[in-house]
Amino acid sequence: MATLTEAPPPLSPTAPTQKPPRKRGRLTPYWLLLPGLLWLVVFFALPMIYQASTSVQTGSLEQGYKVTWHLATYWDALSAYWPQFLRSVLYAGAATVLCLALGYPLAYLIAFRAGRWRNLIMILVIAPFFTSFLIRTLAWKTILADGGPVVGALNTLHVLDVTSWLGWTAGDRVLATPLAVVCGLTYNFLPFMILPLYSSLERIDGRLHEAAGDLYARPSTVFRKVTFPLSMPGVVSGTLLTFIPASGDYVNAELLGSTDTRMIGNVIQTQFLRVLDYPTAAALSFILMAAILFMVTFYIRRSGTEDLV
Amino acid sequence: MKTNDSGSGDVRLTGISKTYGSFTAVHPLDLTVPQGSFFALLGASGCGKTTTLRMIAGLEEPSSGTVHLGDLDVTALPPYKRPVNTVFQSYALFPHLDIFENVAFGLRRRGIKSVKKQVEDMLELVQLGEQARKKPHQLSGGQQQRVAVARALINHPKVLLLDEPLGALDLKLRRQMQLELKRIQTEVGITFVHVTHDQEEAMTMADTVAVMNAGRVEQLGSPADLYENPHTTFVANFLGTSNLIEAEVDSRSGGDIVLKAGGGKLVLPEARCSAPTTTGGKVLVGVRPEKISLSHADDAGEIPEGRNRITGKIADSSFIGVSTQYVIDSSVCPEFEVYAQNIDRDARLVPGADVVLHWSPAHTFGLDAAQDIDAGIQEETAV
Amino acid sequence: MPFVNWLKRHFVVIAGLLTLAYLLLPNVVVTVFSFNKPKGRFNYEWQQFSTDAWKDPCGVAGMCGSLSLSLQIAVWATLGATLLGTMIAFALVRYRFRARGAVNSLIFLPMAMPEVVMAASLLTLFLNLGAQLGFWTILIAHIMFCLSFVVTAVKARVMSMDPRLEQAAQDLYAGPAQTFLRVTLPIAAPGIAAGALLAFALSFDDFIITNFNAGSTVTFPMFVWGSAQRGTPVQINVIGTAMFLVAVALVLTSMVISNRRTKHKA
Repeated sequence: MATLTEAPPPLSPTAPTQKPPRKRGRLTPYWLLLPGLLWLVVFFALPMIYQASTSVQTGSLEQGYKVTWHLATYWDALSAYWPQFLRSVLYAGAATVLCLALGYPLAYLIAFRAGRWRNLIMILVIAPFFTSFLIRTLAWKTILADGGPVVGALNTLHVLDVTSWLGWTAGDRVLATPLAVVCGLTYNFLPFMILPLYSSLERIDGRLHEAAGDLYARPSTVFRKVTFPLSMPGVVSGTLLTFIPASGDYVNAELLGSTDTRMIGNVIQTQFLRVLDYPTAAALSFILMAAILFMVTFYIRRSGTEDLV
Repeated sequence: MKTNDSGSGDVRLTGISKTYGSFTAVHPLDLTVPQGSFFALLGASGCGKTTTLRMIAGLEEPSSGTVHLGDLDVTALPPYKRPVNTVFQSYALFPHLDIFENVAFGLRRRGIKSVKKQVEDMLELVQLGEQARKKPHQLSGGQQQRVAVARALINHPKVLLLDEPLGALDLKLRRQMQLELKRIQTEVGITFVHVTHDQEEAMTMADTVAVMNAGRVEQLGSPADLYENPHTTFVANFLGTSNLIEAEVDSRSGGDIVLKAGGGKLVLPEARCSAPTTTGGKVLVGVRPEKISLSHADDAGEIPEGRNRITGKIADSSFIGVSTQYVIDSSVCPEFEVYAQNIDRDARLVPGADVVLHWSPAHTFGLDAAQDIDAGIQEETAV
Repeated sequence: MPFVNWLKRHFVVIAGLLTLAYLLLPNVVVTVFSFNKPKGRFNYEWQQFSTDAWKDPCGVAGMCGSLSLSLQIAVWATLGATLLGTMIAFALVRYRFRARGAVNSLIFLPMAMPEVVMAASLLTLFLNLGAQLGFWTILIAHIMFCLSFVVTAVKARVMSMDPRLEQAAQDLYAGPAQTFLRVTLPIAAPGIAAGALLAFALSFDDFIITNFNAGSTVTFPMFVWGSAQRGTPVQINVIGTAMFLVAVALVLTSMVISNRRTKHKA
């Protein structure tokens, strides 16, 4: 028969109380982390420090640079290039809003209405990734070409009159205007909005919609009170994944814009690779980084979503 | 292949305990599970039953104490070196392997080359011969459960551990699998240690049940013993339903204790009382609802002498089919439950009627009054 | 007004499909213009149908060389980032260790940083160290920015994995190495594959960081960038179209195969 006694809490000295000698792998996580983290420290964190140091150096290419804590570089850079900074924020902001407006219906369509077409549409959203984005961006030069069908239609509908008056386009042209740049940015970063939106929409239980409808909510109310709030994590990470790369982009401004649409990315690129004014370029890059980090932190705090992506 | 020398295959836990920081999941306990028995650890969630099981499996390191299988001390052995196998909660079938490979997994890891015959035989035993090449997600819950059992049993473990193996199944399938597991256990003769929160399941299947509460074993015994003669209020309330009455020890006569409760007297055999009884001291008197007979107050004179009696008024009655369940409002106990078989229904027994409850003193049990009278009452019936 | 009602009911579908059209329009243009025979140096205006470029895809000096370089870098960067990233992901999910928060931020930051900032700062480092810009500096940079994406993809998969599966393997006589090889790795494989695929796409298509750290080496995106200044050969569109078609074909085939397999077995 089974026997049971409750052992007294202080074990008698004869009872074996030694801990089993099984302490495997206390160091394992560190070995797993070491190579990857080392890579990030040396090639991501350390460069940031080098850059910060470069931004306060003076000198020239020929004579070499020295750290002189010349903070005026920051002031000079800001006062010379504030329009480009402002433009970056405006263009990236506009592209983000457009991405959200365009991307939400498509993400919603894939999540709830696509049925057996879901996988196919998903593939079509991702597949353009596999064609170099530069080639696809160049295609916009053809689509928005002067006298082409798109510009012709906009002209006939007098849309271009309105946009020209707003300063978004110039005369009969769309290319080489802010509109073209924003259009290119929106196009390039749209999938980064759609994918997180889709993944948070997909997690919503379809019965919640039925429940809300059952409780006298009209379709528009269901969306405002149930669907949209529940998709907030997707909205937050989608907007960040769109805004951050768009604000530092210089490809769209270069290929689709003109000298009047130059963004801060263009300036940093030119200063670094053409003018070879390293302190100014580093200072600009540092300001951009700080601004982005500040905005991201503020935005994440406000939206209450701590875990992204 | 199986030896039945006493003690050679017993599971022996000695002073075993588990603490997480300041929380004690399992207080030091000694427990012996005899070879070949079907043993159940029963308790509500968080009572330490699963932790105890996992310490036998080697998936949890005990904070103190030892685990022996027969004469072998396995306390320091990692799970993959213990001759013990587990049927996991929600089965943990490998989703990337088919049924055949799931069942063959343990054999292959031990370097056995020709596994085909053994796996096929084992799949026959659990009636899944046809499903060998399907993936786990293509099977129903009951089939997955049988795969989990086959995957463990094929290794001929000294002990099979089952962690809430039927928790994910619906009621009807659960009943069926209870009988099925019992059949398999009888057939293979391996020791089964079964963890469950379902008291009916434990009582149906196990030879011996250990009722656990807050990291301690409250009582251990055969299902009938636990039910008829509970030693604590927790066991009395957790296994089935008990009516508990606060009473005072009045006197003794022969092997019986006479108690005062309300205005009346109750008789309790001394052998059925697990509490210290000093005259004037308090005792909780218990009786199961189905042991009680119900008579209308007008018929009180027909009740035989020598039975314990209580008077009250019917507060509520519900017709269940095989029986009728009454709730009686009595001065000694506000909600006295009585289950009456529907043999000859007395039409006068309706809510509001005055009644006399009476039962044989041999069906009375006594508990220590220092305990919480409501311990072990389940707020919600577990599914 | 039945038409307005119809429009209201199908608003999401119509708007969604319009967005899809916006996403796919450039690919259509790229494909159509791969059959163009442009007059000048630039392939922006339709002239006449021709299959010349398809017959001679490598007919432009330097283009196929840059394509093969990009592929090589993408393969090595994928291998490196997947290996390092998978290790980090396992450590993050499976172990407790100090400075967890710092590790998480170090992994998150590269994804929250405009590319141009990383590109510029990395170049500063290489200039300061006097490193020779070229294949190796590009590879280092690509592994760096792909790493975080791999960690994210693998982490999601490992986190959703039932820890009981590994316990079951241990219970069935698999030691730590066997458990990892036979159970953990196969189950984490889809996450690792997703991370690797993402790394490949990111590396192959990267322009900004590469442009800063390539020196005189020319990858395929850099070749396209250069041709946007000098003249765009039709062959660029041929490559773009071919890549799109191959990708779609691969995905469709794998879907058909997995569909058939589940149908066959059920």
